[in-house]
Amino acid sequence: MDRKQDQETANADKKNWLEWAVFGISLTLVLAILAYLGYMTYVHKPTPPDLVVEVKPDPSAHSPHRYHVLLLNKGGATAEEVLVEVALMQGGKEVEKGQLQIPFAPQDSKKEGWVAFSSKPSQADSVLTRVVSYKKP
Amino acid sequence: MSETENGRRVSQSLKEYARGIAGGLLFSFPLLYTMEVWWAGFIAEPLDLLVLMVVTYLLLLGYNRFAGMHPDASWQNVFIDSVEEMGIGLLISFGVLLMLNRIELAHMSMDEIMGKVVIEAMAVSIGVSIGTAQLGASQEVKKDDRKARQENNRNSKVALSVLGLCGALVVGGNVAPTEEILMLGVEAQPGHLLMMAIFSLLQSVVVVFFSNFRGTASMSPNGLLFNMAFDTCMSYLIALAVSAFVLWFFGRFDGVSFWVGFAQVIVLGVLASLGASAGRLLIK
Repeated sequence: MDRKQDQETANADKKNWLEWAVFGISLTLVLAILAYLGYMTYVHKPTPPDLVVEVKPDPSAHSPHRYHVLLLNKGGATAEEVLVEVALMQGGKEVEKGQLQIPFAPQDSKKEGWVAFSSKPSQADSVLTRVVSYKKP
Repeated sequence: MSETENGRRVSQSLKEYARGIAGGLLFSFPLLYTMEVWWAGFIAEPLDLLVLMVVTYLLLLGYNRFAGMHPDASWQNVFIDSVEEMGIGLLISFGVLLMLNRIELAHMSMDEIMGKVVIEAMAVSIGVSIGTAQLGASQEVKKDDRKARQENNRNSKVALSVLGLCGALVVGGNVAPTEEILMLGVEAQPGHLLMMAIFSLLQSVVVVFFSNFRGTASMSPNGLLFNMAFDTCMSYLIALAVSAFVLWFFGRFDGVSFWVGFAQVIVLGVLASLGASAGRLLIK
């Protein structure tokens, strides 16, 4: 009886193929992530956010004077509460101004938004974009 | 291939995994649905994530050693189980975040996806290990046998501290990342904080008393008093330490005065202390 019990315990400690498979996958995952994080820790240099704005006209049926705004963060840190300003310019004068607020722009991310104007963009000769402000999270 | 040659039966391990997954989701769904945690995912530096993974792994080792599924498991098996739980946690976290549209493989950088998945996964994996051990204890191992082992092995102060750590992290961790802790800490008057501290201690006393009562009925009144005072202090200190660690991890100490930091620790300590003292109830 005792021997049988001992054997049962020993068997309970032994793993079947399913457990080995789960363990294998888990170990690979964990080690891969650790290696990646370790590498990133080694290479990582703290740099501030670096924001770029790209705009292009994107009219739709209901808002014909709409612009598509793409915000790229090429820096090494997240920017919080990003405020983007898009202005229609004519002969060096500002015709109309629109604003777009984006709560978070993580590093290497793309955030999209739209700004709609009331005046016809064709009257303006250029579109000026500017990232007004953002803060460290 | 006979079952005995093959170790545990496949159906049995499937059941264990199902319990683990249920437990993981049960304890970590609140965090998976908290936006501050997603933000922490992309704000965290790679080194922070590394520290978090190591700390979580140590906790899993401790939990599996002292309260795990197989009380008589060797250290080797405890190491293996902990890796498995972390792996399952990572997969669940990835799956749920993908389902919730919190990660987009096409538009997000590797760092952002990894940060979110890793932070959430750590909470899930502790849930997985608790779930595996606690949900439905229909173990075939003889009950008396287990009990006898627990008495010697698991009731030590070390075991209780490890379980207290896990309990504090699970209960306190669920609200630690939210803005509410900061708000409560900033707006609390010293009197409120004093009340919170006393309330935390009372909670611990109650839980410690009722959990100790079962095992140590034969103890002399003096011994009981000493033990209760010791256990209460220990679980409150563990709760405060865990609160401080979690708050530090979520950047709640950056640029605040000592008082505000301290107040936040006390506020979070109310929940964490309940978790820390209830951790010992997790030993069956």
